[in-house]
Amino acid sequence: MEAALTLDQVSRRFGDRIAVHEIALTIPAGSFVGVIGRSGAGKSTVLRMINRLAEPSSGRIVWRGEEVTALRGKQLRQWRARCAMIFQQFNLSARLDVMTNVLAGRLAKVPARRSLLGLWTEADRAIALSALERFDIGELAALRADRLSGGQQQRVAIARALVQEPEIILADEPIASLDPRNTRAVMDALASINREYGITVLCNLHSLEIARAYCNRLVGLAGGHLVFDGAPEALDDAAAEDLYGLNRPRSAAADATALIEPRPALPQGAAAFQH
Amino acid sequence: MSGTATAPLRDAALADLQSLKRRHPDAFRTLDRRRVAGLFAVFAALALLCFGLWRLGFSPGLLLGGLGQLAWFTGLMLPPDPGSWSILLSTLTGLGETLAIAFLGTGFAALLALPVSLLAARNTTVSGAVRFLTRRSLDTLRGVNTLIWALIWIGVVGLGPFAGVLAIVTIDVGTLGKMFSEAIEAADGRAAEGITSAGGGALHRIRYATLPEVMPVLAGQALYLFESNVRASTIIGIIGAGGIGLQLSEMIRTLEWRAVSFIILLILVMVALIDWLSARLRRAIAGEAPGQTA
Ligand SMILES: Nc1ncnc2c1ncn2[C@@H]1O[C@H](COP(=O)(O)OP(=O)(O)OP(=O)(O)O)[C@@H](O)[C@H]1O
Ligand SMILES: [Mg+2]
Repeated sequence: MEAALTLDQVSRRFGDRIAVHEIALTIPAGSFVGVIGRSGAGKSTVLRMINRLAEPSSGRIVWRGEEVTALRGKQLRQWRARCAMIFQQFNLSARLDVMTNVLAGRLAKVPARRSLLGLWTEADRAIALSALERFDIGELAALRADRLSGGQQQRVAIARALVQEPEIILADEPIASLDPRNTRAVMDALASINREYGITVLCNLHSLEIARAYCNRLVGLAGGHLVFDGAPEALDDAAAEDLYGLNRPRSAAADATALIEPRPALPQGAAAFQH
Repeated sequence: MSGTATAPLRDAALADLQSLKRRHPDAFRTLDRRRVAGLFAVFAALALLCFGLWRLGFSPGLLLGGLGQLAWFTGLMLPPDPGSWSILLSTLTGLGETLAIAFLGTGFAALLALPVSLLAARNTTVSGAVRFLTRRSLDTLRGVNTLIWALIWIGVVGLGPFAGVLAIVTIDVGTLGKMFSEAIEAADGRAAEGITSAGGGALHRIRYATLPEVMPVLAGQALYLFESNVRASTIIGIIGAGGIGLQLSEMIRTLEWRAVSFIILLILVMVALIDWLSARLRRAIAGEAPGQTA
């Protein structure tokens, strides 16, 4: 398969902390990739850089030959529309109804004067409703988003992503605040989108079990470094242990981060307070 | 009860007392630097108060004498009585005018303050320079008292309620602009980020994320200001900018003390009514605001 997404030595610094360190990655179109690693490893930062919610400090991100990191203005907005994002906290407009939240996925596709006045066409409405029905929440269309359960809100967010008619979907820990049943519903929704529309999915996950069950490829980050890249079966216990730093004092990657810190006193878990 | 349970801790602590004192000398000091500074500040404030009373010629004797006067006036004011039908009528018209001034003034101020506050809020402004200029202008509007604005506007448009409305609009664009912009800055950015991630621009973020989130807060603030403007706009009538204040000052000048007390009574009733109504409305808006998921 052709390489759809390429990360070329992408780094991101926050002050003198390196969140992501020279990541190089090639992802074929249609993959379902799980990004794993412990808290603070840089998973969110990688996804946010792809959608350009965060700017890389260096390196390039390329999508189908087009340099995403060079886009500006209108083109950047168009890219964001093609690259839908799903968040752990759903990031819906709590006081707007479900329908409007889903229609927001079409903002970049209609002229500003119509979107700002809320004059959505019948086609837009039909697309939004069929996305909602696809995830069994069509009857919730008129409800305010904050009246929904977490699992329902996340499915609304996925519907919003889907009506963007994206080429790739980035999901940042989409199930971290959900119970097991909703976890299944949300992951199944992502899997079906991936299967039926061939949309590439990149999904940050905390749970190895879920990652193994749904992804056809896993990418492991530790301390901002890429430390694993392969099929889920290749991630044996030793590799997982390395990735999560269980029982082991530190990985090579953590050593590298420590070198950059001016003061050595930062405990390893310090990054865990950030999200 | 816990005495027995913590006995080992207590024994250990007391045995270690000397060395604990050595390690944490500050924790054992009763008069630490912060307390001394606090006491000093209290004394300084008291001294300033005494100096002020002395400097302004405040004398208890005068106050006591004045209290006699006050009782005398109160006597004159009882019972409240408009005196004539025409005074009753003009009083009611004045009250209506006061209410209208407050309503129109606050309403127009809110309409104008909304776009301005978007420019003044960090998360919605177009640039740092615009934000700075907007904030300073709002400070200027707010920094001048309503009465002074009323005098200025009387100079421009002449005596009457129009000047009163303009005065309230002027000062409240400043007040509401500032309050709105702070509410907008306090909005949690997640919904806005969701809109950005879907390819929305700055106006989309405002329309689909920020405003829906902060609207109830802004409405509550505008209502509260309306409430306080009903109180404030009784006074601008005294300088001729319309409303009940005009009748009130007229009656004081002509020593119609019973009519004065009647007018004051009506003002109190109106203010109480508006306060009650606006408090209920604000509660309804606020109650409906947070996500009450079942
Ligand atoms: N806006 C920011 N400002 C400063 N530092 C940040 C910022 N965002 C992330 N970081 C830092 O970058 C590092 C990677 O953060 P990131 O959020 O990408 O981790 P993560 O793998 O998503 O963690 P989690 O599993 O907890 O979500 C962390 O050390 C974090 O402290
Ligand atoms: Mg994260």
